[in-house]
Amino acid sequence: MNSSARKQEARPGLWGGLMIASAAAILGLKLSNAIAAPILYLLLIIPAGLGVQYFRAMQSKSAACGSISPALLRYNRGIALSSLGYATGLGIAVSLWNRYDPSPPAVFALALLPAIPTFAMIWVMGKYIVEESDEYLRHRATVAALFGLGLALALGTFWGFMEMFGLVPHVWAWWVMPVWAIGMGIGQGWMSLRDRGHRGMIAAQACGRTPPVRRRDP
Amino acid sequence: MKNRLKVLRAERDWSQADLAERLGVSRQSVNAIEKGRYDPSLPLAFRIAEVFDLAIEEIFQRDA
Repeated sequence: MNSSARKQEARPGLWGGLMIASAAAILGLKLSNAIAAPILYLLLIIPAGLGVQYFRAMQSKSAACGSISPALLRYNRGIALSSLGYATGLGIAVSLWNRYDPSPPAVFALALLPAIPTFAMIWVMGKYIVEESDEYLRHRATVAALFGLGLALALGTFWGFMEMFGLVPHVWAWWVMPVWAIGMGIGQGWMSLRDRGHRGMIAAQACGRTPPVRRRDP
Repeated sequence: MKNRLKVLRAERDWSQADLAERLGVSRQSVNAIEKGRYDPSLPLAFRIAEVFDLAIEEIFQRDA
């Protein structure tokens, strides 16, 4: 199968759209009190499965475009697995905490359930930066991670002072991880836009294969 | 740092993907180096010089 056929078959947009639509439908059912645990957690398997398919389609498309390295492949797998572990751990921890009155040591163990997969995510990100052999991609990942760190530190510090002065409500500290990840995504997105530019965007849509530049005869 | 990657590619009728494949890097790397947005490490600069069979200073020049 050639690369354009593989890219055509991958359809990450379709899987991503289905994932968001199913998650939104489940959220709507939950907000309208039409469903509750454990049905809610069983239904969440649908967007999780679609998410896995989205990851696979993205990898297939990137491989067809020649823009995925073995390290990036391992990173994507690691993040997908740890995200699945995080969702499962969080679901179990919240369910047990709501239903029972656990002792402090048991609460400590419950807190570890969603926390351990986030430690795994941090380890996977660090491992990617160490293992990526393409120095420009490594540079981009490092800049994006620093961008995310800067956002988390700046926002956390500012929010902390606003909270101290009673201007904003309390926010749980675990939000630092999503804020860092969002910052990293913004950083990568900004660098992608800068790299593509107008002409590059067209080339990227054509699977990243820029035509050879022609030499002008004297 | 300025470079002549685009001209050298044109002389050989190579696309960015062709050069990336020869260098064993991503197309994004070639694009970023060519546009002057990223200066390659010394080992990669040597690889680029080897691929074009030129000296490094014949490909890369310091900004005036």
